[in-house]
Amino acid sequence: MFENRKLEILTLIGLFAFVILFMIISSQSGHAFSGSDDVGSEKIAELTGKPVESFTPLIPQYVPPSGEIESTLFALQATFGGVVVGLVIGYWYGQKKRPIGS
Amino acid sequence: MHIMEGFLPWQWCVVWWLIAIPFLVMGVMELRLLMRKDREYLPLLGVSGAFIFILSALKLPSVTGSCSHPTGTGLSVMCFKPYITAVIGFIVLLFQALLLAHGGLSTLGANMVSMAIGGPLVGYGVYKLLKNTPVNIYVTVFCVAAVADIVTYVITSFELALAYPAAVGGIVASFSAFFVIFAITQIPLSIIEGLVLALVFKYILQLKPDLIEKLGVFSKQQIESALATSTDVPEKKV
Repeated sequence: MFENRKLEILTLIGLFAFVILFMIISSQSGHAFSGSDDVGSEKIAELTGKPVESFTPLIPQYVPPSGEIESTLFALQATFGGVVVGLVIGYWYGQKKRPIGS
Repeated sequence: MHIMEGFLPWQWCVVWWLIAIPFLVMGVMELRLLMRKDREYLPLLGVSGAFIFILSALKLPSVTGSCSHPTGTGLSVMCFKPYITAVIGFIVLLFQALLLAHGGLSTLGANMVSMAIGGPLVGYGVYKLLKNTPVNIYVTVFCVAAVADIVTYVITSFELALAYPAAVGGIVASFSAFFVIFAITQIPLSIIEGLVLALVFKYILQLKPDLIEKLGVFSKQQIESALATSTDVPEKKV
C-alpha cells in the first residue's frame, strides 16, 4: 500500500526526527536559539576585539523597528513564495485533468 | 548565512561584488533568452524561485542551539543552471537586505557568492556527476539540494575567515570557528531541505514530466522509470 509513498514517508520521518531533536536540545538550558547570523557577528567582534556595536553599516540601511515588523516582512516573503507555488501547481494540475482542446 | 551590513571590510565587499556581478549579468542575459525561446518555462521558473523565497524565510532551530535558514537553491540550479539561479538569489537577498536588515547592500556581493552562486554551483557539480548514473533521480535531487545548502554556509565561513583571520592560527583557525557556527548548524537543515525538495520534485515530475525532459534535466528513460515506481496509477504510454 505504501509502496509508492516511500519519499513522503521518508520526509515525514525526517521532519519528525528534526522536531524531536529540537525538543531534546531546547530542554537543555543555555541555548538562546538566536540566529546564526548574529552568533557569527559576535564571533567577528571576538576575533577583532571590537564590540559588536562598533560595526556600523557602510551603506545606511532600513532596520525593522521591532521583531514584530520583522516577522511580518518574513511572513510576507514566505507568503509570496507560497502563493506562486500553489498557483503554478494548481494550474498544472488543472491542465493535466483537462488537456487544452479536448 | 547573511554577513551583516558593516561586518565586512569594504575591500572584501568590493572583491565579492566583483565576483558576483559577471554571474548576475550572464544570468540576466540567459533569462531574456529563455523568455524569448519559450514562455512554457515561466511557471517552473516561478516555482523554483518561489522555493528560494519560502525556504530562506524559515529560520529553523538546530543542534548548536542557534537558528538558521535553508537556501532552497537546488531546484532552480538543476532546472535553470547556475547563472539564472544567481539572479533569483540576488532578488531574494536584495529583498532581505533592503527590508529586513538581513545582510546589507555592501555585503550583498559576498552573500550572493555564498548563497546564489557558490552553493548552487557546487550543487550543480553534484547534479552533473550523478545525472548520467543509475542513481535514482530523487536521490540526485536530495543530494543537489542538501549540498547546495551546506556549501553556502561553508563559503560564508570562508569569506569571514579571509576577512578576519584569528590572531593565533590565522585563517584556518577562524575558518573552523565560523564553520562550527554556520556549517554545523546547517547539517540537519540541509538534510530536511534535501528531503523536501526531492518530494516537491516528485510532484513536479508527476504533473509536468515533459517540461523536465525538454529542459534536459533528466532523460526520458530516467523520468519514466522514476514515474513508474512513484505514481499510484501507471501512466498511459502515448
